[in-house]
Amino acid sequence: MSAVQDILLNFFCAFFGTIGFAVMFNVPKRFYISCGTTGAMGWIVYCLAVEHASAAVSSFFGALVVVLISRMLTVRLKCPITIFMISGIFPLVPGAGVYYTAYYLVTGQLGEAAQRGIGAVKVAFAIVLGIVFIVSIPREFFQPLYWKKRWKLRKASKEA
Amino acid sequence: METADRGTEKGMEIQQVTLQKTAFLDLLMLADPQEDMIEKYLDSGDMFALYDDQGQVQSVCVVCQIGKRKCELKNLATREEAQGRGYGTALVHYVCEKYSYQCDTMYVGTGNTEKTIRFYQHCGFVHSHIVPGFFTANYREPIRDEGVLLTDMIYLKKDLKTEADPKRVLDLALEAGRILLKNGGEIFRVEETIKYICGRFHVEDVDIFTLSHAIIVSIKIGDGDTYTRVKHIPLSSSHLGIVAEVNALSREISAGLVGIDEAFERLKEIEEIPPTKGYLQILAAGMGSGCFGFLLGAGVMDSLAAFLIGCFLYVWVLASKRLRISKIIVNIVGGVLITFLALLFRHFFPAVLHLDGMIISGIMPLVPGMAFTNAIRDIADSDFLSGTVRMIDALLVFVYIAIGVGFTLGAYTNIMGGVGI
Repeated sequence: MSAVQDILLNFFCAFFGTIGFAVMFNVPKRFYISCGTTGAMGWIVYCLAVEHASAAVSSFFGALVVVLISRMLTVRLKCPITIFMISGIFPLVPGAGVYYTAYYLVTGQLGEAAQRGIGAVKVAFAIVLGIVFIVSIPREFFQPLYWKKRWKLRKASKEA
Repeated sequence: METADRGTEKGMEIQQVTLQKTAFLDLLMLADPQEDMIEKYLDSGDMFALYDDQGQVQSVCVVCQIGKRKCELKNLATREEAQGRGYGTALVHYVCEKYSYQCDTMYVGTGNTEKTIRFYQHCGFVHSHIVPGFFTANYREPIRDEGVLLTDMIYLKKDLKTEADPKRVLDLALEAGRILLKNGGEIFRVEETIKYICGRFHVEDVDIFTLSHAIIVSIKIGDGDTYTRVKHIPLSSSHLGIVAEVNALSREISAGLVGIDEAFERLKEIEEIPPTKGYLQILAAGMGSGCFGFLLGAGVMDSLAAFLIGCFLYVWVLASKRLRISKIIVNIVGGVLITFLALLFRHFFPAVLHLDGMIISGIMPLVPGMAFTNAIRDIADSDFLSGTVRMIDALLVFVYIAIGVGFTLGAYTNIMGGVGI
């Protein structure tokens, strides 16, 4: 399988998987495509990053992209950011890691559990950081009007 | 018609009078001594009566619609022995609030007596206009109030746009917050919505404390009084569509497009939005299982099997939701079901299927992604209390699933004598 094919396959799986969860979370139909795209973009960034960095760092970049896209969509579609963020971040959530941790705990394999658990906690904190970074960008930056105004001001000051 | 600030009696009740309005004629005559003048507006107007805690009528008033978005307080009278207890003020505030949805301005006409005018000014009325010679032209006998001969009618008016009972406003805001929190809204969105709604109806001094499963709101009303409400909101399944709708409604409210009554009704309608159809959710669960299984490195065949497992699993999840089975049971049985199906599939196709891949893909629909993400977001907002509660809620789900899976695998190993795990 070539790299391009691999990426495409990953994109589609993440896209439809995210839509699946959007449906389960009762997201209104009109947002399905946006949710799917958000999730798929985040996952692709994660995939590209994970070849050069650890899972936690890659999750950080994935979360950055997911939250960034979510914020842009929120402004454009005028709806709560949760809709895109919860669905979009789902592929990055260390569900498997936490599950394995719990599973090893339940079956008494404590060493394995600790290893998986620490991995999952790292990923979780990476996602927290990713969210905090984007959320701390002021709201105006996502409004087209703000940039239009700025551009006009700049033009005016240049002319003067 | 005099009132005082303090000493408002508790336990009074205001009701609209629709039948036998003339029964209160003796009271109405206190404010308007000529019967045929009262009859002019009694039928067309709305009459309200204030009962004290013993069920005695102490004060009545009549309000007439006098044009588009305008109304007039035609008559306001309080029993002479009950004056000065705040009944009149309470009645005026009540009708102002009541008419603020259909009218912008309320007028009241009165004789030129200082005491009455001061009362209305105290209630928020300001001077509007004068009709000269009204009393002398319309009343057969000269009227004296406090020794002054009444000639001109003095009109006062009050802008009703800002009039809304702060308690009702808070109730509305809290209801919106409750629906948001219940359906998976974030803490900050709940608080923002409550603040916006209160701000729109000019309720200031709002203090909100929101936890993952409770909202506490307190406002200051009038003379140092506070009004506080606590709402417990048990953790339950979420519905992001409802969150989006409440959000849209709160935007409309803050833009001033929706009044309080309408907002209450809209909230009721929003809460009744049904979840996505069952079969769609089942298919979606299968799709989520299959796709994420593949992303997690399961093979193509494993992902296809995971699709089926996900569908079956969600049939159980939806059925248990309808039967209100405890979350613990749902997740443990879910884990058992997933493992059982995975073992079954592998029994038939041992060459192409892998147990581990199928199980990890199959549990995806049970993964509390929303609780987890919300927990992470709360922690990112430095709201550690709600964050940890939600995080524990999410982590326990994994433990329950693992118990289910571990139990089934263990039982299988025992029965099969340790072969094939």
